[in-house]
Amino acid sequence: MEPLQRIACDWCGGQSPAGATSCVTCGAPLNVKNLVSDSGWREAPRLRDMSEVKFGSSVCQVEGEIVPVAEITLGGNDAIFFEHHVLLWKDDSVRMDVMPLQGGIKRALAGMPFVVSIASGQGRVAFSRDASGELVVLPLHPGMEMDVREHAFLLCSHSINYSYTRIKGLRNILFGGQGMFMDRFVAQNAPGLLLLHGYGNVFERRLGAGESVILEPGGFLYKDASVTMNIETQKLTTGFFGGVGMNLARMTGPGRLGIQSMYHHHHTD
Amino acid sequence: MSMPPTPAMTDAPRYRCPWCGHAGDAGSTSCPRCGAPVDVRMATSDSGWAKLPPIKDMARIQFGQSFCQIEGNYVPVADFKLDGGDGVYFTHHLLLWKDEQVQISTLPLAKGWKRLFAGLPLIMTQAHGPGRIAFSKDAPGELIALPLDAGQSVDVREHVFMIATSQVAYDWFQTGIWFTTHEDKSTETHYPIGMFMDRFTAGPAPGLLLLHGNGNVFVRNLQPGQTIAIKPTSLLFKDPTVSMNLHLEYPGGTYGAFQSWGRWGNRYVWLHLRGPGRVAIQSHFEHLEDPGHAIRNTEPRTTTRQW
Repeated sequence: MEPLQRIACDWCGGQSPAGATSCVTCGAPLNVKNLVSDSGWREAPRLRDMSEVKFGSSVCQVEGEIVPVAEITLGGNDAIFFEHHVLLWKDDSVRMDVMPLQGGIKRALAGMPFVVSIASGQGRVAFSRDASGELVVLPLHPGMEMDVREHAFLLCSHSINYSYTRIKGLRNILFGGQGMFMDRFVAQNAPGLLLLHGYGNVFERRLGAGESVILEPGGFLYKDASVTMNIETQKLTTGFFGGVGMNLARMTGPGRLGIQSMYHHHHTD
Repeated sequence: MSMPPTPAMTDAPRYRCPWCGHAGDAGSTSCPRCGAPVDVRMATSDSGWAKLPPIKDMARIQFGQSFCQIEGNYVPVADFKLDGGDGVYFTHHLLLWKDEQVQISTLPLAKGWKRLFAGLPLIMTQAHGPGRIAFSKDAPGELIALPLDAGQSVDVREHVFMIATSQVAYDWFQTGIWFTTHEDKSTETHYPIGMFMDRFTAGPAPGLLLLHGNGNVFVRNLQPGQTIAIKPTSLLFKDPTVSMNLHLEYPGGTYGAFQSWGRWGNRYVWLHLRGPGRVAIQSHFEHLEDPGHAIRNTEPRTTTRQW
C-alpha cells in the first residue's frame, strides 16, 4: 500500500494533500520560500489571489491583494461573527443575528464594538476592511488563546469563544494604544478559524521564554495569550519644557507576536 | 614578458547599478549599496521619468560595518543591524521595534523655536549599535535608498525623510517658495512646499539616506537650463544644483461673463525646477490647499503665464 503523502504548512502546521500549492487550513502558498529577516521576523504568507481555506463545512476564498476581500461560502450549520462595518456584500439567504456580549457597557465605554454580528445559513457573505494591507489567517486548535488588537479582527468562525481581556496597569491603558481591552479568542473544544486584517505588511516572530522585544504600541497586531505586554517610557530631552517621553511596549515571550508595518502612531506625552 | 590576464580577471561579470552607479558583482540579486534589483531593467517613460525600481523583499544594503534589510512591499520596513561603531538618526514616530541593547537619545537641533513654528519635527532621535532597530512609515509607498558619496548633498522636502546614517550631516534652509493672499482685510502667507527644506550632506565618509515616497516614485535628470513644472506637493528630493521658483498659470477661456483668470481663483500653482541635477517625485501627493483669494504678493523669482 502506498504511504499517504502529506505536506506540512510552515505557517500553521496544517497538513495538505501532496501536490497542493496552498495550505487547505490557512491558504499559505506551499511552493514559495518563507521570507524571514535576519532579525527573525517572518512575513505573513502572501495569500494568492483566489486561494481557498476550508473550515468546518465552509470555505473562505481570498480575493484581491491591495485591500483583500474574504468571501465565505457557509455550509452546514456553520456561522461566523464579525464587526458589522466590515461587511461588503451577502446573499439574501444568509441570516443575520447579533451576538449577545457580556460587559456591554464596559465595551461601549472602552470604544470596543458594542454589537458583534453573526452570519449563518446557506449562502455567501464577503468582508473587507478600509485600508490596504494583508489578511492573516490564524487557524486555532483546541486550547489555543489569542489576544488581538481591538478592531483588527475581520471575522471568526462560531466555534471560537470570543471575549475580551482587560489590560492591566494604568500606564498600559493610557499609553499602550489598546485602550482598556484587547479581544481574546479561545478555541475550547473544537478548532476554528480567525481572520485578521493588518495594515501594511504583517510580520510574526516567535519569542522564547523570557525573550523581549521593544515595540511601538501602534504596531502591535496579535499575540499568544502567554506573551506579556508592558509599557516603558523612554525619556527624550529636547531643551523645551523638560523634554518628552516616548512610550514603547516591552513584549516578553514565550509565544507568537504579530506586528503591522503601517501603524497608528501614539504621540509622545 | 607580460602575462595574459587570467580568465577569472576578465570573465568576472561586472554590473553597474543604474540607480546609484555602484559597480558590483552581477551574481548578486540586488545592489549592496542601494538595494536596487540587479535583474530588472530600469523602466523609463517616453518623457524621461525613470521609475524607481522597488527594492526586493529582504534585500540587504551595507553601510560601514552595518546592514539594513528591507522587508515587505506595501509598507516596507527598514530593519537595521547596527555594528558597535555605527549609528542612525530618524524622526521618532517612525520607530517600529528595537532590541533592548540599542540605545536611543535625542540629536541636538539648532533653531528649535523656528522648527516648532514651522511644523517641523522638534526632535530628531538617534540610535547606536550594537543591536537591531526597525522603522516604517504609516503610508503605502516605496522606500528610497540614497547612498551619498563623501561631500555629496541632497535636498529633501519636509516629512519625507526617514533615516540617515551618522556619517550624514543634517541641516535645513528656507525654501523661499511662497505667496500671499488677501481677503477681508487679512493677509495669509502660503508655502506650497513648506517653509523649510531638509539638506543632508555626507561628511568625509560616504553615508546612506532613506526616504519614503507615497505611491510610486519617479526620478529624472534635468540637463543644464532644462526646466519642468511639477505639483509642489509631489516633490520628494532634488540635487542642490536644481533651482526652484514659484510658477503661476491662469487658464484661457471665459466662465460666463467673466474672464476665468480673474480674482476667482481659477489658477494653477506650480513648482518650477531648473537643472542641472536630479529631481524625484511621488505619484500619491496631498492636495495643495489654495484658498482662491486674490494673490497679493509672491516670492521675487515667481514666473506667471496667462493663457
